[in-house]
Amino acid sequence: MNIENTQSQMRKGVLEYCILSIIKRGEAYPGDIIDEMKSAGLQLLEGTLYPLLNRLKNAEILTYRWVESTSGPPRKYFQLTEKGEAFQALLATTWNELATGVELVTRKPKEESELNNNTI
Amino acid sequence: MKKVININFQGQVIAIEETAYEMLKQYIERLTRFFAREEGGDEIVNDIECRIAELFGNRLKHGINCITDEDVASIITSIGQPEDFDSDYEEAASEPGAAFAESREQGSAAAPGDEVRRSLYRNSGDRILGGVCSGLAHYFRTDPVWLRMIFVLFFGFLFWVYIVLWIVLKPKVLETNVSKRLYRNPNDRFLGGVCGGIAAYFKIDSWIPRLIFLLPLLFNLIGMISFFPLNYLFDEVDFSWNINMSMVVVYIVFWIIIPEAKSVKQKLEMMGEEEYIRSIRERVSNNVATARSRGDGGEVPPAVPAYMAAGTDDSFEKVSIDEMPPHPSDAARPADHSASANRAHVAPPSERPGCLNGFILLLKIIFFSFVGILALVMVSAFVAFLFAGAQMMPLKSLFIDPGQETTLLYASLILLIGIPVVSILVWIARRVMKAKSRPMIGLISTILWIGGLVAAGILAAQVADKFREESTLERSVEMMPIDGKSLYVDMMPYQDDYSEFSIGWGMDSDIDHLPYTNVNEDSLLFRDIHLHIRNSNDSLFHVRTIAASSCRELRGAKADLEEFRFEITQQDSLLYLPEFLMVPSTQGFRKQSITVEISVPAGKTVEVSDVLNNYRNQEPPSVVRRRIRNYTRTFMTAEPPHLEDEESEAGSDVV
Repeated sequence: MNIENTQSQMRKGVLEYCILSIIKRGEAYPGDIIDEMKSAGLQLLEGTLYPLLNRLKNAEILTYRWVESTSGPPRKYFQLTEKGEAFQALLATTWNELATGVELVTRKPKEESELNNNTI
Repeated sequence: MKKVININFQGQVIAIEETAYEMLKQYIERLTRFFAREEGGDEIVNDIECRIAELFGNRLKHGINCITDEDVASIITSIGQPEDFDSDYEEAASEPGAAFAESREQGSAAAPGDEVRRSLYRNSGDRILGGVCSGLAHYFRTDPVWLRMIFVLFFGFLFWVYIVLWIVLKPKVLETNVSKRLYRNPNDRFLGGVCGGIAAYFKIDSWIPRLIFLLPLLFNLIGMISFFPLNYLFDEVDFSWNINMSMVVVYIVFWIIIPEAKSVKQKLEMMGEEEYIRSIRERVSNNVATARSRGDGGEVPPAVPAYMAAGTDDSFEKVSIDEMPPHPSDAARPADHSASANRAHVAPPSERPGCLNGFILLLKIIFFSFVGILALVMVSAFVAFLFAGAQMMPLKSLFIDPGQETTLLYASLILLIGIPVVSILVWIARRVMKAKSRPMIGLISTILWIGGLVAAGILAAQVADKFREESTLERSVEMMPIDGKSLYVDMMPYQDDYSEFSIGWGMDSDIDHLPYTNVNEDSLLFRDIHLHIRNSNDSLFHVRTIAASSCRELRGAKADLEEFRFEITQQDSLLYLPEFLMVPSTQGFRKQSITVEISVPAGKTVEVSDVLNNYRNQEPPSVVRRRIRNYTRTFMTAEPPHLEDEESEAGSDVV
């Protein structure tokens, strides 16, 4: 069992949720998203971000507009569509369920779980 | 020791070590190959390139002279090798819903590379309705505008083709594959920038397409002014409104089907690269010149080109574009080949309006066409008034006294007609020159125009005031006794020539009461002569004249009445009435009239010549009628005699 593969699988699941949440707070261009993810300690390969944004855009979850930049080529600023808002909200509920569930499962005291096992 | 080269990367000039450049080039090639399978792969690669260019820019800003191997390596690590995100991609593709499964299917079904681009899709990145035309254009590698034009022209049967294609074809964001496209030019526009775009496309001055669009309109206006001296030249040509309206329709169609050039890339496609760079260079150097002169003297020198001054309102928007360093043509730099090749299919898909925006656009078009038609109607009305005013001028002397009233008339005419015409011309000139409008001028001209309105009102009141009081003057005519049974009444024709007050349009025939002038133009000749026949109280014929006129006050009217000349002459039993009532022309038109009253004694008759029929049939003015009624009431109890056409049998009814 490759540990890296498992790690990346875990990260990947929440990646979309994180990105959509960042964009939900306000228009963002890929550079912003990467900086924010990195500062939060979430490792993100930039090469993964661009295809993901592209797919979300094709699925009409995101739209973007071009903004001329003074320090380089024009930037794509992304924002959520209505469909995207709904999508993000669904992901949020799923994540919350997941987080509490995982929390419950992983943090459960050892004795209690053994106790449970015994009773069954 | 390493060789450093300059590359043009995503519109930025970047100094880079040759080895680093090779590394970058290979990396981008790998990325391109990797994403070729995915929908919108080019776009992803382009996004990544943009990011790299930005990172380079940041590095160079921090005082580093050139991009080194290490820089490129660290950037590549942070972005990641294609094989690193390979696994992510495969699985992520199916996650965000059914749409992605579809895209994956397309990716695997289509052969890689060029074949993907050659399949027929609806282009969702550049669309007016469904993107069918744009997709077809992509397939045939032409400008979507031409296909849209074909679809508009053959709307009848291509409509169904369009609908079918809309349903059948799958949407996909496609990159432009033509280097030159027809766009609407936002920097050179009068209405929608259509003509500016056409001019940029064909590299001609923008007034040429504008003139072509406006020509039928101009001819039409000329045709509308029927007294235009050269009008007979255009008799053969039918500049009907149909041609006109079709030009308007063509313009509106163009407005809809031609997208506006928004991004730098689109402007490049619109003008051609060299033209665009030249225009940027001009503008930048002008900006610099202006800024410098502002710095020096604090004022803009008069030497600043007109379009610079005109462009100040939107120059801020352009600054960001202008600041991008213009890059020389790619062919000159073989080293840059791959980067520029990739850049070539970066078409930021134009943000085409959705359904709502389309509706708003439609409303705008309707609004503008209404405003345009309204403005046109206003202008032609003013022109018509101008000419009508000229036609009315001969009548001026009839109603308007010299001096203050004439001054008032000219002032109000100039203000009322001149100001709108001048301001419309100025507005058009400003739009053409793109000069900034000055609200002060608008305010002043509005005030002046209202002043003209007030002057016209005062004048109208003054003229109307002249008809307030009506006065009459009676005179009896000395009569020789008549031997016979009958008095014969005839007309004494006016011996000299006379001229009419004509107001054109053949209207003079409708206005009977307008006077004529004599040869010297010192007298007015009125035809307002009424003949009234009544019973005499004694055994003699009596003839009276009742002159009537109106004036501001009765005294003035009386004075005017004294000046009337209407000399009745008698030759035995023949009574001659002059053809005209003569009045000095200084009086002007004051509803002057004269009523000839003939009293017929019992047993005698009066015979009226048929040339005077008109006089008998006309009712005398109300003041005179009132007078006559008062007069007759005292003496008569019976009905007034009925007057047959040729004679009156009076006397028998008298008590």
